[in-house]
This record gives sequence, C-alpha cells and structure tokens, in this order.
Amino acid sequence: MELLQGTLDVLILRTLLGGPAHGHAIVKAIERNSEDVLQVEQGSLYPALHRLIRRGWIAADEGVSENNRRAKFYRLTVRGRKQLQVETTKWDRLARAIGRILRPAQEEAQS
Amino acid sequence: MKRRRHPLDGLEEDIRDHIERETSDLIATGMPPEEARHAAIRKFGNIARVGEETRAVWNWAWIEHLRQDMRYAGRVLRRNPGFAAVAVATLALGIGMNTAVFSVVNAVLLRPLDYPHPERLVWLADYDARIKRDAVASPDLMFWRQHGESYTMMAAYGPQQAAIAAGGAAQQVSGVVVAGDFWSLTGARPALGRLFGPQERDRLVLAWDLYARQFGADPAVIGKSVVVDGRAVTITGVLPRAFRFQFPMWWQAVEPQPVEAYFPLPAADIAMFRSVSAVAALKPRVRIAQARAELAVLEKRAQATHPVNMRFATHLRIEPLAQKLNGAARPALLILAAAGALVLLIACLNMANLLLVRATVRQREIAIRAALGAGRGRVIRQLLAESIALAVAGGAAGLALARGAVAILVRLSPNAAPRLAETTIDARVLLFTAAAAIVTGLLFGAGPAIALWRANLHDSLKEGARASCGPSGLRLRRLLVAGELALAIVLLIGAGLLVKSYWRMHAYPPGFAPESIVTMKVRLAGPQYSEREKYEAYMRELLRRVESAPGVRAAGVSNWFLFDGVPFPSDTKPGQTHVIRLNASSPGYLKALGVRLLRGRWLTGADAKGGHVLLNENMARAAFGTRDPIGRQILTPAPATVVGIVSAVKCAELDADPPPEIYIPHEQLPFLSGTDVVVRAAGDPAEIGPEIRKLIAGIDPSQPVYDVKTLERALSDSIAPRFFNLFLLGTFAAAALLLALVGIYGVIAYSVAERTREIGVRMALGAQRRQVVGMVVREGLIMALAGIVAGLAGAWLLTREMASLLYNVRPNDAATFAAVAAALGTAAILACWAPALKAALVDPVVALKYE
Repeated sequence: MELLQGTLDVLILRTLLGGPAHGHAIVKAIERNSEDVLQVEQGSLYPALHRLIRRGWIAADEGVSENNRRAKFYRLTVRGRKQLQVETTKWDRLARAIGRILRPAQEEAQS
Repeated sequence: MKRRRHPLDGLEEDIRDHIERETSDLIATGMPPEEARHAAIRKFGNIARVGEETRAVWNWAWIEHLRQDMRYAGRVLRRNPGFAAVAVATLALGIGMNTAVFSVVNAVLLRPLDYPHPERLVWLADYDARIKRDAVASPDLMFWRQHGESYTMMAAYGPQQAAIAAGGAAQQVSGVVVAGDFWSLTGARPALGRLFGPQERDRLVLAWDLYARQFGADPAVIGKSVVVDGRAVTITGVLPRAFRFQFPMWWQAVEPQPVEAYFPLPAADIAMFRSVSAVAALKPRVRIAQARAELAVLEKRAQATHPVNMRFATHLRIEPLAQKLNGAARPALLILAAAGALVLLIACLNMANLLLVRATVRQREIAIRAALGAGRGRVIRQLLAESIALAVAGGAAGLALARGAVAILVRLSPNAAPRLAETTIDARVLLFTAAAAIVTGLLFGAGPAIALWRANLHDSLKEGARASCGPSGLRLRRLLVAGELALAIVLLIGAGLLVKSYWRMHAYPPGFAPESIVTMKVRLAGPQYSEREKYEAYMRELLRRVESAPGVRAAGVSNWFLFDGVPFPSDTKPGQTHVIRLNASSPGYLKALGVRLLRGRWLTGADAKGGHVLLNENMARAAFGTRDPIGRQILTPAPATVVGIVSAVKCAELDADPPPEIYIPHEQLPFLSGTDVVVRAAGDPAEIGPEIRKLIAGIDPSQPVYDVKTLERALSDSIAPRFFNLFLLGTFAAAALLLALVGIYGVIAYSVAERTREIGVRMALGAQRRQVVGMVVREGLIMALAGIVAGLAGAWLLTREMASLLYNVRPNDAATFAAVAAALGTAAILACWAPALKAALVDPVVALKYE
C-alpha cells in the first residue's frame, strides 16, 4: 500500500519514540511494524527526516553503528515528543471520523 | 566544544550507507549480491532526486528565514519612521555619491572602446616637446605601415574643420581626415551608402547626427555633391547612429564639438609632410615591447631615406590606446573614487553611531527575545537584517540620486574626460551599487550587533533599569564621531586646495574683464579667399562693420601661429633657437581684450607695412632678460623693432601662464586662413554676440561664423576637467561635513539627555547656566579637537597625492589647513550649541525627579 501524503512524518516520529535509530533502521521498522503492508519508497525518508530536523522535532547525532561504522542517528527532541502527541490525537480523530462514514451500520450495531 | 555540523553534511554518505545496509539485508535473505544491489537501489528510488529534494528542504528554509527577518526588519523600521528616514538619507548620500563616481569611472576607465579588439589597439606617436603634442609625420606612418610586421592594421587621422554648404548658408562642421585602415580598425559599417576607399579623394562620410540635422535624414543625399571649403565633395555614406569617434583628440580643448564628418586625407598630404595622429592594431600575441623594438629599427631605416630637416624631434612612443586615452583623467578619477569611499565610510560611522543609540533603547526587547529562546546567531542575524534592509533602501535611493548627479555632471562638463558624456547606469554600475549597499550594511551593522550582544542582557530586564549604553558605549561613540571629523577634514582640505587653485587661476590682472568680451570664429576658406587682396578686403569690411556696430567698445581680429628656429637677443649659447608665438592682430584686438600698455606705444594702422612689433611682458622677459626692449631689434623671423610692451593676459588657458607672445600687424599674416574675432561689449555680451555674428555672416553667407561665446566661457571651458574635479570633491566635502556635524550633534544631544539628572544636581548645588553650557561645549570640543588633529595629520600625508590637480598651490598649503581646521572647529562648536542650551535650561526640580 502506498503511504498517504504527510503521514511519513508522523510514522518517523512514532518510530523514534522507541529510541534513536539510523535511516535504514527507521524504514525497516515502519515496514515491519505495519506487517509489511506499507511500502515506503526508501529515498523519500531523507527529505522527511530533514524537514523534521528543520522544525526542531528530531535531531541528528554522529554515532557508531553495530558493525562499528560511522552513522547518523536520529532522535526525538522534546518538541518532537509533544508534536507526536498532537499528531497522534489528530490521526485518531481523523481515523474515527472516516471509519464512521465508511461503516455506519456496524458502528450502530456495536453501540 | 565540538562544532555542530549542518545536517546536510555527509548526506551522500548517509544515502550510500543506507543502500549498503539494504543490500546486505537482501543478501541475507539469499539473493545473489549483484541482484541484491540493484534491488536495493530500486527500492531506494532516484538517488539524485532524493538528494535534491533533501537539500531543497534547507534552501527553502534559508529563504524563509531571510523573508521573516526582512519582514520583521521592515516592521521595526516602520515603527521608527524618523530613525529610518535619517538612516536612509545618510546612506543614500554615501552610496549615491559612490555610484555616481563609479559610473564615471566605468565609462571613462573601465568600459572598453566600442571597436573590435580594443585591447590590441595601440597609440603610435612621435612626441614633439616644443609644441607639447604627439604627432606623426604622414610619410613616416606610410613607411611603418608598409614595413611593420607587428601590426594587422594602422590608421591615421587628424582634425578637419570644414564649412559644408548644401543649399543656402554654409555650416561649420567638426570633422576628421582619416587614412590607412581607419574603417576596418574601428569596425565601422555604413548605415547607408558606402565608406570611401583608401584611393578616393574628395569624398565625405556623414555621422548620423549631421545627416539628420543638416540633410533632414534624406537618403537621397548619398552620391550627391556638396561644397566643402569651396570644393565639390561627394557624400558616399552615412555612419550608424551608435558609431562614435573615440580616439584621442588633442584638439578637443579648442574644438570640443563631436566629430561629425569623415574625409579622406588629401593626396598631397600623404606625400607631403603633415602631422597626423596614429592608431594601430597589434597582431594577436604580439607584445607591445616587441612592437616598440621593431619601430625603433624601422625609424633608423626611415631616417636614412628622408632628409633630416623634414622631421620632428624623435621621441617615438607606443602605448596601449586605452592608457593614452584616459591617462590624463585617471589620477583625478582615482582620487575622486577614494574621496567617495571616505564619504561612504563617514556615512557608515554615522550609521554605527545611530544604531548604538538605538541599541540602548532596544536592549530590553533583545533581552526578552533571548529569554524566549532566540539563539545568539538568530538575534545577530535579525539585527544585521535590519542594517541590510536600511542599506538596500539607502542604495535604492542612492541610485536615484546618482542618476540625477550623473545627468548634472555630464551637462556641466561633458568634455572633462574622454567619453564622459557616455556615462550611463549600466549593469556593472547596478552590481557595484548592490555590492556597496550590502557591504555597507554589514559594516555598520556588525559592530553594534556584537556590542549589543556583549551587553549584559540580564541586567536590562531588571525592574527600573534605565536604557543606557553606559560609559564605555559613549566612549565608543565619541571615538566614532572623532573619526568622522578626521575623515571629513581630509576631504575638506582636499576641496579647499582645489578652491584655492581655482582662485589662483582666476586672479586676473586689473582691467581684464573676460565676462564682457565676446569671441567668435570665421571660417574664411575656399578659392575666393586664396588671393590676399580679396582676403584683406573681407577683413577690412568685417572690421568696419563690427567696430561701428552699436554696443561695441572695441573689436579686433587675431590669428596666432608658431614659428620655430628663432634666436633671442639675450641668448648666450651660440646656435640656440626657440619656438615663438606670433599673433597677427588688428589694433583693436589688444584693446578689446583689455590688455594694458606698459611701455612704449601701441601699433596703429600706420604700422601695417610691418617692421614694428609689440611684445607682451612674458615675451619681453624671455627674449631680452632685464634689458629694456624698446627700440631694440627682434627676429620674427624677419628683423623688427620693438615699439611697445603690453601686459600678458590669459586668453586661452586658465591653468597655464599666458604664453610669451609677439604682436605683428594683421596685414603681416604669412598665410591666409580663418580668423578669431574679439569684441568688447558695452552692454550685455549675451545679446551682442548673435548680432555681431549676423553682421559678419552678412558679408558672405558661404563663410560660417561659429563658436560664439564670451571669453569667460571659453576660459572656463579650458579648465573643464579641473572644474569637474572641484565640483565633485567639493560636493563630497560638503556631504562629509554635514554627516560629521550631524554625528557630533547626535552624540552631544544624547550625552546631555543622559546627564539630565547630573546637570540638575549640579545646578541645585549652585552651578551657573554659563558653566553648564561650557561643560557641554567642552565635551564636544575635546572630541572635535581630537578629530581635527588626526584629520590634519592624515591630510598632510594624503594631499601630496593630488599635487597634479593643483595650480599654484602647494599640497600642504598651511593657510588652507588652518582655515579648514578653524572652520570645522567653529562648525563643531555650533553643532554643540543647541544641546548645550538645552542643558542650561534644565530645571533642577524636574531633573531630579527624572528617571
């Protein structure tokens, strides 16, 4: 499934909630956690990462990876953590709203 | 501390690393390595595009920040319109003046000639020290052209005044004769018709302006015959509107009109000995030194073939044409450019000063922004954005100012420098202005921005803290103002020296009143005047009509020429000779000029047969030393008796002493040519000029009467370049003075406001108002004196660079230095006076409550 426009940002933030990660690991985590439903064009990760750095939601640190190579690790900043909350709330409301429209009967039956 | 790197650093590495990780993941699933690599790249997408999009994130951010900064700066400045207006005016003055000077430098020194390969063009000359002119004998040039190996083309040209008659009255036209490869050297293409070839004679090519003015832009004139100085000449073509004659014109001082007609060099002149100016194009990769060496060899060969007595003194020279063309204007323009830079520096100091005052007011605002998390860099960038916004606004206003200034300059003295009239605001000038504005903004913005940051922002947030730049800030501001005054005094002294030179040039002897003297020229050419009898009949009729015209006090005709090889009676070395200047004039000429008789008697009509001469005092001194010349013989070159000595007046060049001259009766003129007419008017010379002109033209309409102007005007035209320098440097000095006085006023007024409470205390304790005024003025005076002393020292070192621009004034003329220092000191005291009076009117009761 293609990723919805703009949702990659929030997925990155969510992924980094688990701790700092390098770029490849972030993509892999998104694919794995969505049970491989979401296919990210891997390159599109980088503009998104830089957009988030610019807004001050994540930061990049130079670090050493597991196989002892230099790599950039991205981590969530304090502002990024707050932003994730905002975005998650927004997403939940949006998802509920769309759900209600698409399956009204089922909703009713359940209530 | 480790320097934080920009997130974009190492982006390529990050991407490569990413793909390698994906590749090894895929290999781990059992894919062959080569296939895994391709799959990884496919999954990643277009690497170049990803890099571009990632970088774009930051580009956009940079612009976004700049826009935010600029928008904020605009808001801040709109909220302080007074400050913004003063700042923009200051900068407009500084940047505008520099833009104006640069556009002149650009037109005169930087822009190449509009001819093909201008960098290869060289000037060939044989300098004749006695007539102080570069010249080449036409046979020599033909010889060089034939045998020289260094050149692709060689051309000769010389001035040619001509009376062109095409139905009705003849018009005086400034033209040139051209020979050799003139057309190909200049890359000229005809707009109409064709350009005459090297073998053609009695042909004429018109400049576009002449074609439009005299021939009504009628293409039918091509191939038509017109009468030029009594000869039938065929018009072969018209040059395009954009074509200009841009070669050096030594005659421009005398005939400043643009070149509008091109004639072939008469056949007789090619074979005969005629002095021409020469320009050549070097072959590609031939250096000027090679050409010089070759010319020296050719010269030796030429000497062996022509008779020696047919030659000028030989001082062969080759120099790049551009250097020859603007060599005379270059030093003055560089000095003016430096002066412009000083004005801009003063404007910068003034701005820094203004910003320091504002910084104290804004400390709290900045402190709040810093407390809210604005980074140090962000705040400084914001402050610089304000400076640059001001500088850009100042630059834009300055550009408008420069446009006006250039228009005025070109109108005032179009001939002050070659190609000055072609000055425009082109792309290079715009670039210069933009660069000047931005550098200026950074320069005056950086200091205050840093100073502001260094200030203890914490203190300024405290309740009740008063905005103040403190003692160290005020000290800095005093230093800036002293610096301004020092720079201003350098400019003022430079301008003062030029003013004094100007005065010295205009120091006329008593009785000489050039403003009431009208001069004009009569062409008098053509076969009808080649007989002396007819020529003299014309002259007699001219003198009769002009002398009896109403409003004429005295009038005369004059023709001067040089004669070489004449010994003086006072010569001590045997065989020594001189170039003498003979002036064949009618008796009324010297009286019209206002020349006084010092000894002996005037020449009268009875002396027309020759043998009697007058000398001017300079000639008497040169030829006879201390002996009394009256009644003695002098060679002219025929022996003549000196009957009188007259005073010497400047009647051609203001910035040179009057030349030694011998006056002979007009009837003794050894050749027949046009003449200068000089009229001393009783009333308004502007009215009588055109009337006299009409009167003379009435004798024979085929002979143009032209160049009607007062002698005062002719004299001031002769120093056009000097006037140009004086005008510009004077304007710069005035601007510098104004800025420096505003600076000193600002600092003193601010310091008085700061000390209101202290002044109140002093007055409560019994200080007199007089003492308060004294205290304030003393503060200003110390600052002014420091600036004046530093400025005098600077001027002492710098003015020697402008020695070539001065006339009869030494570069460190003590009187000028003293006068300028005194004037500036007085002006500085006056600038302090208003704040001092305000201080004296402080009411102690109010002041003590003032917080």
